[in-house]
Amino acid sequence: MHRPELFTLDDVSLEIDGRRILDGVDEHLHDGVATAIAGPSGSGKSTLLRLLNRLAEPTSGRVLFRGTEVRDLDVLELRRRAVLVPQRATALTDDVAAEVRVAAPDLTDAQVRALLERVALDPGDFLGRVPSSLSGGELQRLCLARALAVGPEVLLLDEPTSALDPRSADAVDAVIRALVDSGLAVVLVSHDVLRAGRVADDVRVLHGGRVTARGPAVHLDLEHELMSPPADGHVHDVTDPRSHGAAHLPHEHEREDEDEHAHTTRTDADPTTEQP
Amino acid sequence: MTTIPSWAAVAVSGLLVLVAVGIASWQRLGISREIVVAALRALVQLVAVGAVLAWLFAHAGVAGALAWVLAMTVVAANESRRRGQGLPRAYAAALVGILVATASTLGVLVLGGVISTEPQVLIPIGGMVVSGSMQAASLTLSSLHRSAVENRPSVEAALSLGLPAHQAFAREMRTAVRTALIPTVDSTRVVGLISLPGTMTGLIIAGVDPLQAIRYQIIVMYMLLAAWAVSALVTARMAQGALFDDAQRLVPVAA
Repeated sequence: MHRPELFTLDDVSLEIDGRRILDGVDEHLHDGVATAIAGPSGSGKSTLLRLLNRLAEPTSGRVLFRGTEVRDLDVLELRRRAVLVPQRATALTDDVAAEVRVAAPDLTDAQVRALLERVALDPGDFLGRVPSSLSGGELQRLCLARALAVGPEVLLLDEPTSALDPRSADAVDAVIRALVDSGLAVVLVSHDVLRAGRVADDVRVLHGGRVTARGPAVHLDLEHELMSPPADGHVHDVTDPRSHGAAHLPHEHEREDEDEHAHTTRTDADPTTEQP
Repeated sequence: MTTIPSWAAVAVSGLLVLVAVGIASWQRLGISREIVVAALRALVQLVAVGAVLAWLFAHAGVAGALAWVLAMTVVAANESRRRGQGLPRAYAAALVGILVATASTLGVLVLGGVISTEPQVLIPIGGMVVSGSMQAASLTLSSLHRSAVENRPSVEAALSLGLPAHQAFAREMRTAVRTALIPTVDSTRVVGLISLPGTMTGLIIAGVDPLQAIRYQIIVMYMLLAAWAVSALVTARMAQGALFDDAQRLVPVAA
């Protein structure tokens, strides 16, 4: 299946104070799927995400959105088409409905309720509440509703679950997956490569500002890619699964193990540990 | 009219400095030397200012008085900049804020016939306006600096929703201007109850009837309210302009 190209990174490098954060990244991110950018902290993954809505500017190279350089687009329009949800869920108002309307003030009450339902927040429970009274996972989902309110073509999620306990993280992941299944493109950044691999269709692994692995989540041994990146300059590319034959079966099996593990964690988790 | 103290009287008042020095050395506060230096410095500075003012009042005229006020503005802006250290173009923001506040308040007072344009009126009144505007600019810059560092995540969250900088930064701007106005609103509210402000104190000591002296004080208070507000708003607007680049990004701000 061929999906249209959403973002194109053409030999993108970025330096801050002489430090190279991204180093010659060439990538194609596709529409209609969830792409995870995974890597250890300091690998440049959040910076890469910020390039996509021009919160950051490359030192060299080009970033294209649907074939047009992002610098040639009106930046406010770009950010409404590609909404970024930052790492720390932050409320900007003191009312749940106002929060959803932050960047879409003309939404009707019915639209606000529909958006809350889309992120699995029951409007009956949550309307009228103060965002600061929400748990971390609920606040993160409210931030997703606030982003969806703008009507984006793609959501850029920076570590959407890193601050959450496993149970809340699973709930946020389920919402993200449902959004992707309804046709919305998602690019998400995560240091938790296994969790990212469960949500995403497509994965890029980043080390030291370079992509070291790319391909469908089901065809990559993600833990191995994170722990033992290939030698300098080499990219482990499994974009075309035919070139890798039957090597994927064990990975499928590992993924099931991983799911079981996640399930165990979930039942063990104390619901009260969810941070407000 | 009350008598103006002679230099001999000033010398007698110098005994009071010795009281302070005596306490400092008796209690081993380690600041005796500093007290002496500060007292001598004050003496030298005030003699110099008195001489300059005497010359200005005699020879400066309106143009000289305005030049003097302008010079005070430049010094004041430099002082304010230090409170916004880390903010881009903080000096320009403070300079424009203080300048606009001073020019507009003095302009209204002069054009309204409230004060005359003699140097002995323009210079002290201008000094009060510049000093108030400077405090407002300092508080504004310091609040904006704190916001730009601490609220970066929420500002970027708002920018990431496609909101323009002036909307993404609206809360921080309101906080900065409100913070800057609180001291002058407070002091206006309790004026006369907690302390007798300088203008009327001076006039009363010089023998002016208190009911006349307060008129000047009321004008000064109202003038300062406007000066603080204009300075805070203009400084904040200027600083905001420098805090965001063409791509509606919050620029790096040193903590």
